[in-house]
Amino acid sequence: MASAEQPLPYAPRTNSISAFVEAPPTDSHRRSPSTVPTSKFAADMSQPPPRPARSPLPHGFNPADMDHLSDPNVKDKIASTGTGPSSQHSSLSAPPPKVRYDPSLRRARKPRSQYPRSSTESHVEYILVASFDIDRGPIMEHQYPVAITGDEHMLAELMLPDQAHVRNQDWTVFFLHKDSSQEEDDAERQAKESRRARRRRRRDRAKGIIHESDDEEDGEEDLDDDDDWEDDLSSDDEPEGGEGPPLVYVLNLVNTKQDKTVKRGAVVKAMAICTRHPFLHIYKPLLLLALEEYFKSPVPETLSMLFNAVNEMDLSLMPKLSLLERHLLQASDNKDLFVEKFERMIQARISEETAEDIADQPFDASRSPPKRPGIFRSGTKSYIETHTGAYAVPRDTHEFESKVMYKGIPIPIKVPVAVMPETVGDFSLIKLIQNFSDSHAKSPQTFALHPHLTTNGPTTHPIIVLVNALLTQKRVIFLGHNMPSGEVAEAVLAACALVSGGLLRGFTRHAFPYTDLTKIDDLLNVPGFIAGVTNPTFEHHPEWWDLLCDIPSGKMKISSKIESAPITEGLVYFQQQNPAYANFISGASAGGSGGGSGGGAAGQQSSGDLTGDAAFMGDILRCIANRSGERVVRAKWREWVLKFTRIAAAFEETVFGASALYIGSDGDDATTNGGTGAGGGAVGMAARGHGYVWADEATKAKELAGNVTRIEGWRNTRSYYSFIQDVAQSYTVRPLKGLDLAHMHDRLRTQKLTPQQSKEIFEAFYNYVWSYDEICLLLSVAPESHAGLFYIALGLFHKDRDVRVKTAELLDRIAEHEAGQHWWRSLSRFEKLAYVRIKKEVEQEGRGGGREGGVVSPVEGKRVSSGRG
Amino acid sequence: MGAAFSMSSLFGKLFGSKEVRILMLGLDAAGKTTILYKLKLNQTMTTIPTVGFNVETFTYKNIKFNMWDVGGQDKIRPLWRHYYSGTQGLVFVVDSSDHARIDEARTELHRIINDREMADCLLLVFANKQDVDGAMKPNEVTEKLQLAKLKDKLWFVQPAIAVDGEGLTEGFGWLSDNIKKMPKYGGK
Repeated sequence: MASAEQPLPYAPRTNSISAFVEAPPTDSHRRSPSTVPTSKFAADMSQPPPRPARSPLPHGFNPADMDHLSDPNVKDKIASTGTGPSSQHSSLSAPPPKVRYDPSLRRARKPRSQYPRSSTESHVEYILVASFDIDRGPIMEHQYPVAITGDEHMLAELMLPDQAHVRNQDWTVFFLHKDSSQEEDDAERQAKESRRARRRRRRDRAKGIIHESDDEEDGEEDLDDDDDWEDDLSSDDEPEGGEGPPLVYVLNLVNTKQDKTVKRGAVVKAMAICTRHPFLHIYKPLLLLALEEYFKSPVPETLSMLFNAVNEMDLSLMPKLSLLERHLLQASDNKDLFVEKFERMIQARISEETAEDIADQPFDASRSPPKRPGIFRSGTKSYIETHTGAYAVPRDTHEFESKVMYKGIPIPIKVPVAVMPETVGDFSLIKLIQNFSDSHAKSPQTFALHPHLTTNGPTTHPIIVLVNALLTQKRVIFLGHNMPSGEVAEAVLAACALVSGGLLRGFTRHAFPYTDLTKIDDLLNVPGFIAGVTNPTFEHHPEWWDLLCDIPSGKMKISSKIESAPITEGLVYFQQQNPAYANFISGASAGGSGGGSGGGAAGQQSSGDLTGDAAFMGDILRCIANRSGERVVRAKWREWVLKFTRIAAAFEETVFGASALYIGSDGDDATTNGGTGAGGGAVGMAARGHGYVWADEATKAKELAGNVTRIEGWRNTRSYYSFIQDVAQSYTVRPLKGLDLAHMHDRLRTQKLTPQQSKEIFEAFYNYVWSYDEICLLLSVAPESHAGLFYIALGLFHKDRDVRVKTAELLDRIAEHEAGQHWWRSLSRFEKLAYVRIKKEVEQEGRGGGREGGVVSPVEGKRVSSGRG
Repeated sequence: MGAAFSMSSLFGKLFGSKEVRILMLGLDAAGKTTILYKLKLNQTMTTIPTVGFNVETFTYKNIKFNMWDVGGQDKIRPLWRHYYSGTQGLVFVVDSSDHARIDEARTELHRIINDREMADCLLLVFANKQDVDGAMKPNEVTEKLQLAKLKDKLWFVQPAIAVDGEGLTEGFGWLSDNIKKMPKYGGK
């Protein structure tokens, strides 16, 4: 919203529907080595406060750390430690206030809500109704609350998808690239001013009534509100893409009703909800009810009734999570993860209401007797039996439960708590992967070769071809002839999430979940898109696309008219540097003729699966076959994408000597940032490295060779540039700037380290991972779905006693952490015993002087050679 | 039944039954969808306005027709051009009883025929709805559509009553015979 002043080339000020012309990147040439910003450039750009020197506190949190944290949750954590879910407030009776935008309800130092009640943003911005006029074609019938700017005819066309006449019901999704217009900007400003005025008025009013002491407090509270408000608006913790204002997502339901009484026998009508929330699928049941209602009474009031109902949905008790927290929650199956945050939201609300209660007391004597508030787990027996009206934390912290009252009927709604970037709507990666894997498994498809796409030769797995096409910004079309348009839209949304992994951006912004021939000219103006269509005419126009994914047959087709991949500097340099692998690269692009005829998968195997993608797809398909579930598959794809970006960074560093895909340091910064004077001293050599970790140089060269063509295809794309932007931006807010925890953890995991090297890594963990965010970061590199804390806890077996003790203390910190406790709990028994033993040793030492440490099992490489415990 | 099926597909192979793409256009409510399903299913369906398009494949006289029926409301007529490429035959359906819009139909027809991508295709006009009182006769339709103006074009006007299936066989008979003469159609 802030960037609305600047009309962006790809997001015109007018309300263009999925239609934009993008200027080619200004830097259309390949970056020559000299122009690649070095890893240091962003370090200079950002001004992180020098990390305070750490006093060698043995335990707990360093208060100085907490001050530099932007996340208020840490403070909450401290404040709430020990207070259980039960509340000491005894006089709660007022129902939640009806006033939605009353900022005085907010108080400082409380957990933040994702959708605070004070926000002026509506859940749903517009409701639209269109119909198919038998003389004129698609027309817009009503729009509420006001007409959406832009070409409403184009909108009406999208709302009535091809072949709507052959099915009774169809869902579609499409996106609007809507800049807030001048009027809206003004309206926003006015709203802000009126909020301020309201606050002022209230303050004045309060002065007249309330005691002086209260008055002061009230005033202070208001100031805090102001801060909070600004905070919510402007300074967010994480970069949010920076590609213009958020998209407007449209969920559309179309119904065809046969009706003998009307001319030509049928009525086709569609109703759409326009929202900026990515979880638009929650509105499905409401659209079903409202469209049915509209068939009965086709008046604007039907729209306004829906509009008011959905906007009264209360999500204010859904806590706001940082990007790291969202990542942890997304990747975890634990239904309790971050439940404390929900509890704190509720506690804050209860105390708010109690405070209000007290304030209201003099004016309203005729109150109902106060009842005791409590927090219950939704769905539990005690909750259902006694306190259906009370606040409840969700059964599963992945979903926030709310409801919408529509015509007096409460419609239960579940809103996803952690939504990763580029995740819109409701889709299944498993469904997408299976759709294109099953037919490939039956009769392997051989592709025409293209260096960007067929990275494993002619039998590259179709899903890998798809991801490669998206990474290298090709034009991808999902075709579902005779399918509901909702299904092609789902495939498009899944593909966006697949290639993004929650890390890369710019896919949904160039996605057209459902589109048709009416938009073809606009579509062709977009360089690189993902579109869903149901009209098989698209197949007859290979000049319109680079990759066609036919959903019913599960086959993909590379266009005969696809632009060939240019020979790039990076590729040439790499070949010069690695003559041994030059053949492998060309083998991926031109050779492999033998593989096509007979060998199939075997031929590919012999060329070595340089990328590791064949093995990866095998793993994914096994996961799906074992019913591991959507979350696991998404987490695995995220890792694949993360790995790709890290390989790309390593490639750039190898070939050009520098990369903007990683900002950090080679150790020097770590020491300056981290405070050399701190207890632990300088970071050891082993902890200084960064980037992806290979077991040895040969493996690295092989993997780079396998990836070089698609990396070169990725450079110069939108997602590449926005990733660089994100890396630079997140560097400013990220904890532990100097260290690459993932690198260190990977070394423990994959390499054979000397005791000295592993010691340095364990010590770096101990010395630098303290704060809430830092522990989150550590947990994110050691996901539960993998080995969790296993490799970190191996420090409990290090041959150096000091390392063992420090690792135990690090685990203490993790165990106290809101998320870390769950990781701690799933630690293996073997390692827990070792922990207990070390703790005992330390304790005894403290009590009765030094004692021999006993036999020690050293950490050698990744294996514990002698299990003792 | 299975045997019969495989026989016919065998004949299909022997006689080089290649798929031909036919595009059926016309103003809204001319009867396009009715014709399509009468040919495909030999049934009279109650059709409702086409949102977008219908496409069906059927075999007639050993020719596999891949026939496209595209919605005709004026706002969506600009989309017709996207269906041109690869089309071997145009079936243009006229509501012969709609005197008021016959000029509109002519304009649209000439716009289609004059497109470069449609230069080589056959033109079959169905003068539909002959059962309606006051419907224009085929020669009148020919005249109103100014078909005589078309040079280097094979065209044929067939009177029809789509709901009864009358005239459709004759029309497609003409189309099949001429398709077989086309050089593109495997020399047959």
